[in-house]
Amino acid sequence: MKPTKIIRTPLLAAALFMFAMPGAHACDFRNTTPVSMLSAGFEAWKVVSGAMEECGNFNAELDQEFRTKQPAAFAAQPSQYTLGGVANGTLVPLLNDGSIRALNSLVDKHGAHLLPNQLIRNDDDVVAIAMMINAQHLMYRRDILDDLNIAPPKTYDQVLAAAKQIQAAGVVDYPLGGTYKSGWNLAQEFVNMYLGLDGELIDSGNRPALNNARGQAALRMMKRLTVYMDPEYLVSDSTYVQQQFQQGKIAMANLWASRAGAMDNAEESTVVGLVDFAAAPAVIPGGAPATTLWWDGMVIASNVSDAEAEAAFRLMMHGISDPVLSANKDAAIWLTDAFAPARIAAGAMASAQGGAPSYPASTAMGLLHTALGNNLADYLTGKESAKQTLADVEAAYITAAEEAGVL
Amino acid sequence: MRRKTFVAFVAPSLVAMAALIALPLLSVLAQSFFVTTEVMETVVQKNCDPFGCKTEEVLAPVRGDDGRIVRATRWVGFDNYRALLQPDTVAAAFAAGGRGWAALANIDFYRALRFTLTFTLITLPLVLLVGLALALSVNRALQSLRGPVIFVSLLPFIITPLIGALSIRWLFIGDGILTAALEWFLERDIALFAQGWTIEVLMLFYRVWHVAPFAFVVFYAALQTVSQDALEAALIDGATRLQRLRYVIIPHLAPLIVFVALIHLMDAYRVFEEIIGFSAQAHRISLQWMTFDLLQPDDSGNRAIARASASAMLTMVGVTLLLAPLLRRTWRDYGGGDSGR
Amino acid sequence: MMATTATTATVATTATTATVARAFHLTTGLRVTVTVFLCAWLLLAAFPLLWILVMSFKLPVDAFAPNPLTVLFGPQTQAAAGGLTPIAALVTVACIWLAVRWRPVARAWRGTVAQVLKPLPRMLAATLAWLTVFIAAPLVLVTVAWMLVQTAESLLAFAPAFDWLARPFIGFTLQHYHAVWVGNEFYRQFINSALITFGVVLVSLTIGTTAGYALARARSSLAFWILIIALVFRALPHSVLVSGYLPPFIDYGLYGKHIAVVIVLAAINQPFTIWMLRSFFANIPAELDEAAMVDGCSPFQAFWRVIMPVMWPGVITTGLFSFLLAYNDYLVTALLLDGPSMTMVPSITQYFNRETTMTDQVEAVAAAVSITAPLFLLVMIFQKQLVSGLVQGAVKG
Repeated sequence: MKPTKIIRTPLLAAALFMFAMPGAHACDFRNTTPVSMLSAGFEAWKVVSGAMEECGNFNAELDQEFRTKQPAAFAAQPSQYTLGGVANGTLVPLLNDGSIRALNSLVDKHGAHLLPNQLIRNDDDVVAIAMMINAQHLMYRRDILDDLNIAPPKTYDQVLAAAKQIQAAGVVDYPLGGTYKSGWNLAQEFVNMYLGLDGELIDSGNRPALNNARGQAALRMMKRLTVYMDPEYLVSDSTYVQQQFQQGKIAMANLWASRAGAMDNAEESTVVGLVDFAAAPAVIPGGAPATTLWWDGMVIASNVSDAEAEAAFRLMMHGISDPVLSANKDAAIWLTDAFAPARIAAGAMASAQGGAPSYPASTAMGLLHTALGNNLADYLTGKESAKQTLADVEAAYITAAEEAGVL
Repeated sequence: MRRKTFVAFVAPSLVAMAALIALPLLSVLAQSFFVTTEVMETVVQKNCDPFGCKTEEVLAPVRGDDGRIVRATRWVGFDNYRALLQPDTVAAAFAAGGRGWAALANIDFYRALRFTLTFTLITLPLVLLVGLALALSVNRALQSLRGPVIFVSLLPFIITPLIGALSIRWLFIGDGILTAALEWFLERDIALFAQGWTIEVLMLFYRVWHVAPFAFVVFYAALQTVSQDALEAALIDGATRLQRLRYVIIPHLAPLIVFVALIHLMDAYRVFEEIIGFSAQAHRISLQWMTFDLLQPDDSGNRAIARASASAMLTMVGVTLLLAPLLRRTWRDYGGGDSGR
Repeated sequence: MMATTATTATVATTATTATVARAFHLTTGLRVTVTVFLCAWLLLAAFPLLWILVMSFKLPVDAFAPNPLTVLFGPQTQAAAGGLTPIAALVTVACIWLAVRWRPVARAWRGTVAQVLKPLPRMLAATLAWLTVFIAAPLVLVTVAWMLVQTAESLLAFAPAFDWLARPFIGFTLQHYHAVWVGNEFYRQFINSALITFGVVLVSLTIGTTAGYALARARSSLAFWILIIALVFRALPHSVLVSGYLPPFIDYGLYGKHIAVVIVLAAINQPFTIWMLRSFFANIPAELDEAAMVDGCSPFQAFWRVIMPVMWPGVITTGLFSFLLAYNDYLVTALLLDGPSMTMVPSITQYFNRETTMTDQVEAVAAAVSITAPLFLLVMIFQKQLVSGLVQGAVKG
């Protein structure tokens, strides 16, 4: 049984008593209203949804592709889910559709203890409750770098130099890992790199502004990095890179903070305690770390009854209550003042202090992100020049933006 | 049968097909000439998140009096088709100094068309050949073997296509056992999911694996009805095994070969599950996948319904052209319309 | 004279038969080729499915190991989660063998059971008998076998010479199935799949049989046109249709509703259904219903009372193909259903999407095997009907 064993009904809970997860925190109330949730599937969501199940009548759908499903599911009458897990980027479509409700009165009633920075506000409405922050940052095998006398790299040029040295030493299969899976992940890597070059993705008139020297430089840097990666990088997502780390196949990667805890998970990892975390590398020496800051949190659908919404909110409060988070300190960088940030928070904190921007979520950005994800692979596979690839991205964005009414 | 009775009997089925196949088809045709957009306006909002508060200009949809988002639909003619086919880029590519086919391969539609067509046309002869070879072999195998062979052969055919594709993918992904075996055999490092052509070969292999049993069962059943007299006559004339196959058995199977080819063309042209199962979208896409992808909401929650409709219509035109010769043959077989039989 | 001719003829026939027999007789080389080819095919056809079955019983480390022997024997699995003993393995193989050979046994028993149940109405008795031999009896047998294994293992532990029989030698765990079915509540998706599949089979047969019958009997050009248009509809990529459904479905609240998907799938399936049913009906002599109508039946009575009773094999076969279409569908269900209403096949991609650990991947494998199992049973029970369906569609249609 996985330690995050999910228990859904009282009967099963009894049957599964012997598998119950260590450090489970009994829920302080019995939930009687059926509540469902759609969210991403990384460890933090497993922790939170696992805790929420203890209250009963709760069903979680953990899906890394939740962003493509959420808008239609929440717009349905009644909504297919009561709760939704969202991040900066995925909140925008729900907000635009008006399919999530304002939580102000519920916060007053059940959420007085929430920190001010947990309340995501749109004008006066509290529209979501943030539970954690996340960012991609540098993870590296301290032992390997020490053995080879390499200082933790601060810039991508240093990353390349280090990768070359590691490759020459032949201690791992591939010096670098990267979440370069075509689609959302690949686009995210580009956004990191481009913002690290101080670029502006979209101009004030919502026209794309990335086919320039900066955009091409960002692409070139990405391609230089891929030389040191597993050649199957175009299908490697966060999970894949995490596994490569765990199995000791790679030495460095720019990976999500929410994956840091997995490195020290003795059940799956062969590199427990060997991976250290630092700020994301900068592209320009002395520049801001090339990464974006994200938050993850929860929203409640508007197409559900008030009673369901209240039940959902109470479950949410239990899911992100301090005892639950304290028992899972390493699963994410939680937004709580109950305990000091864990070791895994170091990289993200350093990135934030280094001046990394938050992800510039907006309707136009969502369209651009999709356009980037669908087109960038052509450059990396060598089918297209950098200029042509970026021209394709802009053309795809313009087509989509015109259809969406953004242009 | 009197016409009134006939109509009464076929009505439910016809209504279902008209309402759920013909009508959607017409609506897709109509949709492909329009674009529906949400009306957006720039508003000033104060947004707060864990990283601070910002007052900024953002685009937000306009809401009507009933609280619903206001949408505007406008006629765009062939713009949706143009967005897919990109005639200007194509013209530039083939003009003097253009990049020719390479530029064409950069446009999703032509990329998808290229893959869909090669996929269909390469698997077709393979399926027919493997099916025929199996049928002839089983026909010659021991009686006691035939049942088990048919049973096992049916498995790849009835299995959920997505799961069939996945089961083959799991054998190869990363250091899967078959990749490991290949690496050991060829003594070199292999990454089957790193480049397009290997994924394409895997997809072709999967499809032949999946459909050959169908051809096999059909051909095998037909082999049971080959006229023994004709075979014996051929023998007495001194025909060799190959000649008997060529002049007696194949002609007997001809209508069924056409039938299997017809069904296979229809199904292979719809190739879709393979792309999902093998996660091939970075390297290879098919026409139906393209429509599916346009229908999926993007990161802003929009579905490109208009372009999806245009893409769907283009796919349909393609399949009609592909099937035209075979459909004409079926038409003739049924007497060119003078009767149902 | 007559006799001589006859004799000559016989001799000639015998000679021909001998030549024919000799000529049809395979040369050794050819026979070897045929055998090797068939064996290679059998391996190719079954291997991917057998292999995911093996993988689903192992812990991730073993399941994704590059060495096939590691995957097969699962040393890590055995160390961490236990394994099968030789006895258990033997009994499992025996059970599988029995399952493959179940039909003759079942046929014999069904007669007996039907005898016992004679006082009950005929349909009910037949259903009960079927349930007894195909569901209840195997369940009882499996339970008994399991208890036997347990007893034998505990007894053998005291017999030093034979205790290797009771010691695990092959890694085996059901924890992924447990996680899929209990932890992730896969039974919800199973129920959704069952509902939708049942609905589609029911609807498409109900509206398809009358149409198929009428099309088989009609000689008008209208019937011909309907068939040709149906053939064109059969060729339509499903995404074409879904792009038509999606906007109204989302606007009118049909998104995520089972009934909508049932109707959509049944309609998409109609062209195929009416073609297949039509060729089955065409096999039934038209004299039968003509005679019934002469006896004063209305066309519908003739269809229902006279034709349908001899038509069941065709209906069952067509139903099987409707079943396959509905059960295996990915595209329509993935786009029109979501979350709680999702069926099994599209939900498997969610396993991929939620795979954040190696364990999730093996759970996806276990889910895939779970989806395949009913299909496997289907082939076992209905092999004859499936083959006859393929042949029917081919020869006639």
